[in-house]
Amino acid sequence: MIKFKDVNKWFGKLHVLKDVNLQVAAGEVVVICGPSGSGKSTLIRCINRLEKFQKGELFVDNFPLHDHSTNITNLRAEIGFVFQQFHLYPHMTALENVTLAPINVRKINKTDAVKLGHEKLARVGLSDKADSYPSQLSGGQQQRVAIARGLAMSPKIMLFDEPTSALDPEMIGEVLDVMVQLARDGMTMCVVTHEMEFARQVAHRVIFMDQGELLESGSPDQFFDNPRTDRAAVFIGKILTH
Amino acid sequence: MIEGFNFRVILEYMPLFLEGLRNTFLISFASIFLAIITGIIACAGRLSQWKVIRAIAIVYIESIRSTPLLVQIYFFYFGLPTLGIRIPELQTGILALMLNSGAYIAEIVRAGITSVPNGQIEAGVSSGLSYYQRMRFLILPQALGVTIPPLLGQAIVLVKDSSLLSLISVAELTRCGQMLTSERFMPTEGFFTVAFFYLCIYFCLHSLATWSQKKLIFREEY
Amino acid sequence: MIAHYLQRLVEIFPFFLKGLWMTVAVSGLSLILSTIFGFLLGTLRAGNSRILSGVIGIYVSFIRGTPFVVQIFIVFFIFPEWGIQLDAFPAAIISLSVLGTAFLCEIVAGGIKAVEKGQWEAAASSGLGPIQQLRLVILPQAMQTILPPLVGQYVLLIKDSSVVSVIGVIELTRVGWMTVVRIPEGLMVFTLVGILYFSISYPLIRLSNNLERRMAVEQVRL
Repeated sequence: MIKFKDVNKWFGKLHVLKDVNLQVAAGEVVVICGPSGSGKSTLIRCINRLEKFQKGELFVDNFPLHDHSTNITNLRAEIGFVFQQFHLYPHMTALENVTLAPINVRKINKTDAVKLGHEKLARVGLSDKADSYPSQLSGGQQQRVAIARGLAMSPKIMLFDEPTSALDPEMIGEVLDVMVQLARDGMTMCVVTHEMEFARQVAHRVIFMDQGELLESGSPDQFFDNPRTDRAAVFIGKILTH
Repeated sequence: MIEGFNFRVILEYMPLFLEGLRNTFLISFASIFLAIITGIIACAGRLSQWKVIRAIAIVYIESIRSTPLLVQIYFFYFGLPTLGIRIPELQTGILALMLNSGAYIAEIVRAGITSVPNGQIEAGVSSGLSYYQRMRFLILPQALGVTIPPLLGQAIVLVKDSSLLSLISVAELTRCGQMLTSERFMPTEGFFTVAFFYLCIYFCLHSLATWSQKKLIFREEY
Repeated sequence: MIAHYLQRLVEIFPFFLKGLWMTVAVSGLSLILSTIFGFLLGTLRAGNSRILSGVIGIYVSFIRGTPFVVQIFIVFFIFPEWGIQLDAFPAAIISLSVLGTAFLCEIVAGGIKAVEKGQWEAAASSGLGPIQQLRLVILPQAMQTILPPLVGQYVLLIKDSSVVSVIGVIELTRVGWMTVVRIPEGLMVFTLVGILYFSISYPLIRLSNNLERRMAVEQVRL
């Protein structure tokens, strides 16, 4: 589904992705972790070209993303993206947030879109908040609306960029529950997160990155219990004491 | 257009342009100076406890802001003689510019004063300072910083506004362009040269405004 | 004597209304054109192309850095030199629109830039095309910042339209100027002109202030 081949990216002089090779199969759940500044967010932002890279190849759903003539808009419609800071549209209700893209991209009629919207909001447990504005929702609720917004396009892939990092601790659980359910339903997911519990529960693979390099890739148990590199061991030690 | 551009005539008229530039400077300086005084008085009136004074200040500020400067210039230019007051065009023009900018400056000063946090006033009251002492030592010094960038903005507007005095035949910069048009019929040379001089003044004042704004942010942070 | 002039002024009052109508027409038309081009250029100015943004920036600086009366002379006298005959009315519309576009363009660009980058990313991620991102997600939010100064800019445009009297467009200021030759009561004539301007611009100033207050409340809600 996703295939990175020797991908390199620079921000000016800073080398943020170094020869990254990674494959994600359909239905796979991959957790990406690593210290801040390791390039993990940049990595998943490349998958829907929120970031461009300079060297290497990247295929997503067989579309070559390194070829800049690829129509990214069509591909983005197939990929859901959940941001750390939610980025809900503040001028729209939860329902309108969810139905905006189905109406304007998929061109489905309004009645069907509203039905679809309610369905997706129900799936994240927010049926009763359809008419609330983002400012009236808690952080956890906002992030669940953001997930529903991604799901409304029936995406082939869902990307999560530190979805719980901006949340108060008591709200992390409700968002993770939704994500666990999604993983169990067979969604292809790439999740940048430090939530070990989540990784152990549903991830097929954990990827560890540091300083732009992809250092480890293995099953959650293997990674957390027996990391192969010292840098990973140090990192795991830090998030455990955290 | 470039091949037809007559630089010789610009050189020939250069002394005239320079005199016009000097007059524009003088008019602008005099007007902004007087306008700041007018603005502070009008602002004091606007914040006064006496209803009548407040009403007068409001009528002055709002009527200036709701009517074009050109109409105000004509109002004095054609109006003062009917009252038997005969002053030269230059003074009439400065009077109009002063009253016009004064109204805008009054609002700038007011915004500056209201920007001083309430806690400052309360702190002043609790340490026993009188109204005038609070104004003098607490509010005005703090308000001053906030008002400098918009005041420079107003100065930019005023320099440009002074061009309208050419219409009551004051010999400032824009007037030179008009003279080149009527005497030699060379509007391109005349008005592009005039525009060039205005742009120079604009860039100087604009950089000054940007710089002062940065300075202010710097002061607020540390 | 004054009563006599007052009576004559009442007699020619329809002439003033015609002038007022012309002022409304000239400024209204330019206002529509400025809005269209202002949004267009403002979007490009806030966009990714540095060259495009830079070119628009130069245009804006030129317009902001020179007096409107100089601009209008340039349009009025220089187009004919290039072989384009231009009547006073279209010349007025062109120069006012060029002026208004420059100012609105900066307001629009500022409003768009004030929307956080994540909103673009979120909209792009859900598969909306660039125009849809702008229309459905960015502009509705940017309008909060754009609307109050936009209305304020309309007031400025109405006031600036008085300057087109110098190229012979018979609008309100020109009517006053023509009247004062026949009825030598400058104060009376230009007070009337002022009142008529006030009647259209004051409501807009109030609207702008109200919008500002309402938008501030809404910003808190968002």
